[in-house]
Parts: sequence; C-alpha cells; structure tokens
Amino acid sequence: MTERPLMSETIELDDSPEAVDDYFAAHQWSDGLPVVPPTEERVRAMLAAVRRDPQESLGAMPPGWGQATVEKLAINAVMAGCRPAYFPVILAAVDAMLDPAFNLYGVQATTHPVAPLLVVSGPYVRAIDMHVGSGVLGPGNRANATIGRAMRLILLNVGAGWPGRGDMATQGSPAKYSYVIAENEAASPWEPLRVALGFAAEETAVTVFGGEGPHNVNDHVSTTATGILTNCADVMVPIGSNVGWYFSQSQLMLVLGPEHAATVAKDGLDRADVQRFCYHQARRTLGKAKLGGMYGIQDWPRWMQVIGDDATPLPLVPSPEDIFVLVAGGPGKHSVVVPNCTFSRAVTRAVDV
Amino acid sequence: MPAALVTTTAFRTLADNERQAKGVPDLPLLMIDHPLGGEKIEGVTARAAQAAQALVDAIAAPARPAPPPRA
Repeated sequence: MTERPLMSETIELDDSPEAVDDYFAAHQWSDGLPVVPPTEERVRAMLAAVRRDPQESLGAMPPGWGQATVEKLAINAVMAGCRPAYFPVILAAVDAMLDPAFNLYGVQATTHPVAPLLVVSGPYVRAIDMHVGSGVLGPGNRANATIGRAMRLILLNVGAGWPGRGDMATQGSPAKYSYVIAENEAASPWEPLRVALGFAAEETAVTVFGGEGPHNVNDHVSTTATGILTNCADVMVPIGSNVGWYFSQSQLMLVLGPEHAATVAKDGLDRADVQRFCYHQARRTLGKAKLGGMYGIQDWPRWMQVIGDDATPLPLVPSPEDIFVLVAGGPGKHSVVVPNCTFSRAVTRAVDV
Repeated sequence: MPAALVTTTAFRTLADNERQAKGVPDLPLLMIDHPLGGEKIEGVTARAAQAAQALVDAIAAPARPAPPPRA
C-alpha cells in the first residue's frame, strides 16, 4: 500500500529550518508555528500506520471543499509533529468531523470561537502515551498537542479555514491551535465514555465536539454532589453562551476533575444522574433570557416560545443525554464546562487500530 | 430556479469562494453593508426594503450560460 505513488507536488527547498518555515508561512500553509518538513519518507511512514489507500478521500472539507485524501491528512500530520502511531486517531476524527451532523461548514466559517474538541477514550490512549492527568487541556504531551495541531492544520490546509477568509471567527480562540483530551479512565468512578456512547470497552473511540474554550468550575469547599454539581450547573448558564438559544443542537460537555467526580460518586450518583441533575438544574429563567444574549432571534421549540411567566426556568439542551460527562485531569478542585456552538452535534467514531 | 447568494460585505471572500467551489461563479451576489446586527428595527426595515428590490433585480436578470463542468 505504501509503495503507491504519492500525488502531491514535490518542492525542493534548502535544508535549513528557517527556509522551510519561511516558505510554508509565505504560502499560508502553517498555523504560524514552525512545521516539520513533510518529506516523502516521513509521509510514507505516516501512511504506513494505517491500512488505507493514500488517494482515498474521506470527503470534501468545507469551506474550501478540498478533498481530505489520506495522503493530504498524512502530510499535515507530519507537519504537526505527529508520530505515525497517532494517525489512526486523526483519521477517525476527520471522518467524524465530516459527518453532516457535525456541520463542519458552520464550525469552520462561523463568527463564534468554536473549535473541534477531540475526546479520546479507550486502550489506545495508553498505547500512544496520551496524557490524561494534570493540565490535560494544556501543553506538554506530544500526542495530545500534535494530534490537535494536525487537526487545525488539516482544517486550514485541506478545508481552507483561514482566518478572515474561510474562518470568520470574530476573535477566535487559543483552542483553535490544539484541542485534544483523553479520558482519565483510572480516575473515573463510572464506565468509560465510549461505553456510555455504545462502543465496546476494548475499542478506542474519538468524539469530536464543536466547543468553546473550557469554562472553569472552581469548588474547593463542597463535600457533596449537591455542592459540586450546583456549581457546575451554574457555569453552564451565562446568557452570553450560545447554548440554549439554538435549542435543538445545543449540547454541553462537563469534564470533571477526578476529585470532584469522586465527591459526586461518593453520594451515589452515576453518569446518568449527573446528566439529569445538570439538565434540570442548569436553567435560565425566561426573565434572565430577556436581558440579552440572543433573545429575539432565538430558535426555540413551540412549547418554549409560548411560555409567558418570566420566572419559568428553561432548559438549555434538548435532553440529559446532550450533556456529555467524563473525567479528565489530575489532583485539585477544578472541573470545566465546554459549551458547544449550537449548530453542530457531537459525533463519535471508533479508531481503527 | 432563479437564485442568488446574499451576504454582508465582511463575508464577500467566503461567498466568492463558495460560488467558485460549487461551480457557479456567476451566481448573482447581493451585498449588504456590514454589520447588519446591532441595527435597530427601523434601520433593518429600511435596509431590507433596499435589499429586497436588489434581490429581485438580481434573480430577474437573464440567465448566463452554465459554466463548463469542472475537471
């Protein structure tokens, strides 16, 4: 398979890193950071990690509608600094992003600061040394950092999501550089996320979630599920969030730190209980909604449109299952809420390894 | 079916790219000054009236020959 000819143009440059970076930056082929030169040898090594035809396209990627061939994805993975073993995760994530339910055109082109958050769950997390502990949303781990960077380079170079042209984000987000976490299964009191989503325990799955950057939940005092989850639910409801305004596609992700999760589980709650609690507790009253945000151009179901009592608490998402709950991170009393952009639904794919 | 692409000025490049990518570079393009959001209702109504007439003019124009199929 890897001996098949590559179709991409070959360019000869000086060996110096500066020459490569200058050339890539001048052609707007990078995210602004130095890239690993995608030599044929490196691209072939990347391709050798998967059993796919290099010219197979996973689909046309908006808004530029470039074909997401396996070869083009491999080139961007090399540029990002990925090891070949990371490539199956990238293929699964791209496949998920191209699912119509994810609405990648909207995610790429919107003025909202959305970025695809990848959540990896399964045994392959350990196989490629992904980080699940302290600072899981931050820097320091090669797999997390470069898988996320590869996704952004693909969105830029294959999808043409260049800021101000294809990506119309008013301000954007640092999450657009790299946005990848892995589930901390060992520290989770509940079944793995992938199992809750219908995958087998022995599989590895990647979920793509069109999310804002993480919103912190600081709680150093609560010793009960009531305290922790009331705090989490409060972070879910600002009127400046997209969530709740475009109701049918509103989703939330709650990434509990292990200590918060342990406190919640100690009171006997499972994941479904957490989802139900947040579904019922994370509500914005009609009166609060009228203060700003998107009130007046909201897209609510008929039953919500006819509510007249300003004191009525309105749900933010269609169902408890639209709140994804998992555990990631290390010691400490913090969790995060990730609101979605509300014109995209999360999609999960098995990683073929 | 007569059709036109409506966009505000800030999104002109995105609109042009989409016309090219979808193989309809001559699809009529109706431009509205950006921003539209933040206008009070009276301003929106006045601009909508102007845009509506421009839209009718754009889609009523004689159809151009279809472009050759893309390779």
